[in-house]
Amino acid sequence: MQHNMQRNWSPAIVAIVTLCLTAVAGADENYPEPTAEGIKFFEAKIRPVLVDQCYRCHSSDGQAVRGGLSVANRTALLAGGESGPAIVPGNLDQSLLWNAINYRDFSMPPKTKLPAETIADFRAWIEMGAPDPRVPTGVVLKSRVTEEDIQTGKEFWAFKPPVAPTIPQGSEWATTKIDRLVEQQFVAHELTPAADADAHLFLRRMHLDLVGLPPSPETMTEFAEAWKLNPEQAISSEVDRLLGALQFGERWARHWLDVARYAESTGKEVDVTFPNAWRYRDYVIDSFNNDKPYDQFVREQVAGDLLPAKTDEEWAEHLIATGFLALGSKALIEQNPRQFQADLIDEQIDVTSRVFMGVSVACARCHDHKFDPIPQIDYYALAGIFQSTETFYGGVRSQRNRQPSNLIILPTEDPNPSDKAMTKQEIAELKQRRDELEKEAIEARRAQRMPQIKETEPRRTIANQFVLDAQAAQLTSRLNSVDENGKPLTVCMGVQAADRVKNAQVLVRGEIDQPAQEVPRGFVQVLSSTAATIAPASSGRLELAKWMTRPEHPLTARVMVNRIWQHLMGEAIVREPENFGASGPGPTDAVLLDYLAVRFVESGWSVKTLVREIATSRVYRLSSQFDQQRFEKDPDNLYFARAKTRRMDAEAIRDSMLTASGQLDTKRPRGSMIAGFGSTLIGPNGPAMPGMMPGTPGTAGQRPGMPAGMMAMARNRQSGGNIFDSSVYYRSVYLPVARNLLPRSLEVFDFAEPSMVIGERESSNTPAQALYMMNNTFVLEQSDALARRILKEAEAPADRIDLAFRLVYNRPPTDEEVEASYQFFRSADTTPAAGQGRAPRSASEQKFVALSEFCQALFASAEFRYVN
Amino acid sequence: MTFQIPNFSRRDFLQTASAGFGYLAFTGLTTQAAEAQSNNPLSPKQPHFPAKAKRVIFLCMQGGPSHVDTFDYKPQLATDAGKGSKYGGSKLMPSPWEFKQHGQSGLWISDLFPEVAKHSDEMCLIRSMHCDQPTHPRAMTQMHTGNAQFVRPSLGAWTLYGLGTENDSMPGFVALNPPAASAQNFGSAFLPAIYQGTKVGRPQQRGQGNFRGNSGGPSLADISNPRLASSAQRKQLDFIQTLNKQKLEREEHQPGVEGVIESYELAFRMQDVLPDLMDITEESPKTLDLYGIDGGETDSFGRQCLMARRFIESGVRFVEITHGNWDHHFRLKTDLPARCNEVDKPIAGLLTDLAQRGMLKDTLVIWGGEFGRTPDAPNGDGRDHNNKGYTTWMAGGGVKGGISYGATDDYGYAAVENKCHIHDWHATILHLMGLDHTKLTYRYAGRDFRLTDVYGNVVEDIIS
Repeated sequence: MQHNMQRNWSPAIVAIVTLCLTAVAGADENYPEPTAEGIKFFEAKIRPVLVDQCYRCHSSDGQAVRGGLSVANRTALLAGGESGPAIVPGNLDQSLLWNAINYRDFSMPPKTKLPAETIADFRAWIEMGAPDPRVPTGVVLKSRVTEEDIQTGKEFWAFKPPVAPTIPQGSEWATTKIDRLVEQQFVAHELTPAADADAHLFLRRMHLDLVGLPPSPETMTEFAEAWKLNPEQAISSEVDRLLGALQFGERWARHWLDVARYAESTGKEVDVTFPNAWRYRDYVIDSFNNDKPYDQFVREQVAGDLLPAKTDEEWAEHLIATGFLALGSKALIEQNPRQFQADLIDEQIDVTSRVFMGVSVACARCHDHKFDPIPQIDYYALAGIFQSTETFYGGVRSQRNRQPSNLIILPTEDPNPSDKAMTKQEIAELKQRRDELEKEAIEARRAQRMPQIKETEPRRTIANQFVLDAQAAQLTSRLNSVDENGKPLTVCMGVQAADRVKNAQVLVRGEIDQPAQEVPRGFVQVLSSTAATIAPASSGRLELAKWMTRPEHPLTARVMVNRIWQHLMGEAIVREPENFGASGPGPTDAVLLDYLAVRFVESGWSVKTLVREIATSRVYRLSSQFDQQRFEKDPDNLYFARAKTRRMDAEAIRDSMLTASGQLDTKRPRGSMIAGFGSTLIGPNGPAMPGMMPGTPGTAGQRPGMPAGMMAMARNRQSGGNIFDSSVYYRSVYLPVARNLLPRSLEVFDFAEPSMVIGERESSNTPAQALYMMNNTFVLEQSDALARRILKEAEAPADRIDLAFRLVYNRPPTDEEVEASYQFFRSADTTPAAGQGRAPRSASEQKFVALSEFCQALFASAEFRYVN
Repeated sequence: MTFQIPNFSRRDFLQTASAGFGYLAFTGLTTQAAEAQSNNPLSPKQPHFPAKAKRVIFLCMQGGPSHVDTFDYKPQLATDAGKGSKYGGSKLMPSPWEFKQHGQSGLWISDLFPEVAKHSDEMCLIRSMHCDQPTHPRAMTQMHTGNAQFVRPSLGAWTLYGLGTENDSMPGFVALNPPAASAQNFGSAFLPAIYQGTKVGRPQQRGQGNFRGNSGGPSLADISNPRLASSAQRKQLDFIQTLNKQKLEREEHQPGVEGVIESYELAFRMQDVLPDLMDITEESPKTLDLYGIDGGETDSFGRQCLMARRFIESGVRFVEITHGNWDHHFRLKTDLPARCNEVDKPIAGLLTDLAQRGMLKDTLVIWGGEFGRTPDAPNGDGRDHNNKGYTTWMAGGGVKGGISYGATDDYGYAAVENKCHIHDWHATILHLMGLDHTKLTYRYAGRDFRLTDVYGNVVEDIIS
């Protein structure tokens, strides 16, 4: 029996971790209806002062809106400027205007302080709830996109549902339906398909595409035999084997993480860790491995918290999925909570529309979309949905993190949590220490404003104040990681329905203090056949998820099949995979795209089924061998008459080295390196480490998941690396992804910029890559390991050479490669680097170094890096 | 007198370079070095015609700096402040900064660039720029490659292809602290990979340069091998390149493999040269001060400008420095002065230093962003994108100093007089380097391609 878990919710179950978070008031909805008396007071005592003293610099009718603050109406006062809300009704301490007229942190008006009686009037006014009749009303933003434009827009190819095409007869060459469609294009463009690739090349290509790892020498031999008997049969059974391997999910999840802008820190100016982001990463891997229907996968990420769940495990999975909406980069330095929220919603609208639908709606935040018939009100229809949603991404308030949030406690417990348990006494001690630090920090801040204390005195320096503040935040983070009994909490990032459902108001030019008419919550009109129906009490997020995944949605399936095709064929059909709109390039083969989209939906949105269909097609099997004529007829390979030679991506390069060297640890590591650091700031050399901060109890020192020792760090830093380059041997998908500090092994080979939706990575060849392959510690280590493996597994020099090529190139060496190898060993030079102050190498050491050099050379060569 | 530039095609390379196209790979290998030298795609080449400029420093201001607040003086904008604007509902906003005339030429430059303004007599303002793309990524791409739609070679790559370089131990085209995910703007596309820009320094993060290079230690990751002597590493590299060469011969056309081959040779040489080149500890305090390298706001960009001078001096053909965060939709009044302040002194220092060293006369310094900004202010303190009219400037090699070329309308909305499209701008830059943009072609897929496609007119009026 299925029941809706949502109904069972109580705050006790899905508790939200409560941090030292001051409630942020100031939203319009909390504003009490002003009394006639209150209005009278405002008109008599307050308005004249605002007009006389403030308008000149703080209104859009005056000369400026200094500091982003306008005092010209109620909404603007409540929204405030860069530093936060000017007025929080009933709360003097939180009202920055009160702070400023009293010459505390701010001094306004700047020239002379207001008379004491006027200040008293403001006190009375704020305390009575700041009644203010100046409500901007009647502003109605007219869209330049007409109803007719939208109707016409629906005729655009990408906004019409895909239609199953008729499959042509096709020649003998075409073995599958895909081939017969592709062949149509060959005929139309006078192209002939390239020959089939040979067994070794094909096997390598398929392994790297499907699981991101090269085939073993044994698999190579077996496959080559099977291929001789019946290539189709050989391919088919190998595809099935790979689709069943856990490595499939690790490979394909990474493609998804690229578009989902997955990262484990906030990025931007203040880079704060997301110690629980990895749960989303693992969720994506598991989803691909389980061949979770793609429509369900989409729904879970957008509205998992609102979906029915049969078990606590399923519920937890759904909550983790919504991490998708919480993972974006964030400007924690932003002081104005309303601005922060508007930016957060904007990011959510942007990723949701581009990742799932391949259109950019976020352009319509400030004005109608310039290229597609998407009016600004469509944006605010979506904004209403996300505004009625609360986002949880963690963090602790500090001077640099002005926008922390809570996290979601999962209904299931992590059997092996990243955080250690604490005794009640430890908690008490930590709390006491934290409180002391906070007091010291406040004193330090106060000292800064005291001219009688010399600037050079330690307690007056800004650095001191920041350190104290950061230490206190660090301890709070540690305290937040356990419940009141000291038991580690199992938490995730994600979203929940907000307490109140509320439509958004259109913001003129996207300005938070320029609200116009309210817009009912809804979806993108040009993509809708009928108007959205959203129940009054529902945010509409679940409806949005369902709307995006209805079978006839014109974009959702097309966008995903385009990506799958691209990852297998090296080029997409729509070559800007996140831009299916009018400003994009359109499909090179609209018929093929529609065929794949319709098939995808018919197969129950099965990614594995589609991967299988493409991987077993003839066109996937083509050789990449250069042919002048074919090249000149179709230089950009728009019609796929040949295979594209591709450079392996960063993960495949690293994982392939580890596979060849025999060092690869195929087990999934627990959590992430970043989880071990808790919630903390990441600096240029890595996260601030709790144990390394002065005055911090040792309890938070070594945490599980924390990488190898200081030696490894020091060594890596020498070669230009950071702490995230520490020697670990698990698959690259599990490496830490801090937005401002990527592991070098990923960054140097064009890793996807984790703050952006990246559908297609760059593929460059740079001297930095050459330097990495020539000199980097990790590469040297793997070369040594491969050398040791070869010494162990083969005896004769010829066998050793042969094995090395089979392990690195996944094929036997050519005659000239064997010859070149002998030539290398005859002349190899192992002279140590100058300045090492060491004795000459012994004969046996020389031999080993030469072999390691040889292994490194194979890794460094172009053949290893390129997939034909 | 005419100079002939060899019109290379990939086929020619394959046929003429006996060791295969990746020529550099094999100079270290054997006696073919001498022979290969004549085929070196990077060796200095004669320009199409004599020209003053020998090298380029391109100061790229990413985000679209406001021209009406910096280099395009619009008194009418002040007169009509607050009036409705031509392209929408929002009101015209006069520049909050004062413009003054500078130098003998009397060029109008705003108070945001006090130091650069001192060089007004060396500067040529092009006040009639326009391009086709209103969005950042596409306009950036068009500024760099001429074409926002397809992947095409970048300006720096074309320059290098046309002229080669004078230091084969350094990349001929260096991009200092380029923004993340911008490889295409420094790429070589279908030109041989040797012509692509090499990124030096970490990618900048939201406008903040992360330049490390003042210490004596390694300035670029993995710049030295902890295990092998250089001679020993060379032997290993010879083997790598033999494997690569064999692959190239097997597969005929593999630009990627050519790129790998060249990247290794360059990397190997850079190991010798780069650490010294990036070590600025030997520079005098006076020089450091000139560039504003003082730990303050000008420090980061100052270092990059100084590094650019050192690279140029060592023979690098084209250096590009990016400075980000010029997209002032909001907070123009606080953020624009901050950006200008960060670059003003360093740029002025660079111009002074180049002049002192007698290098300004043959170094072309270019300043500009992907577009400008609107004269109206949608929210009272910020301006929108404007690709219809904006300003870039040049100084040094072969450019007339102290002039203003072209003009936008009374408010700075659109270029109206002597319009300079981005294609014209490209044609002019190539011309200043002695390259005829209609003749600098590369045969790809059966067609001759050029930076300016079928467009572009040289702006003769600014050439001295």
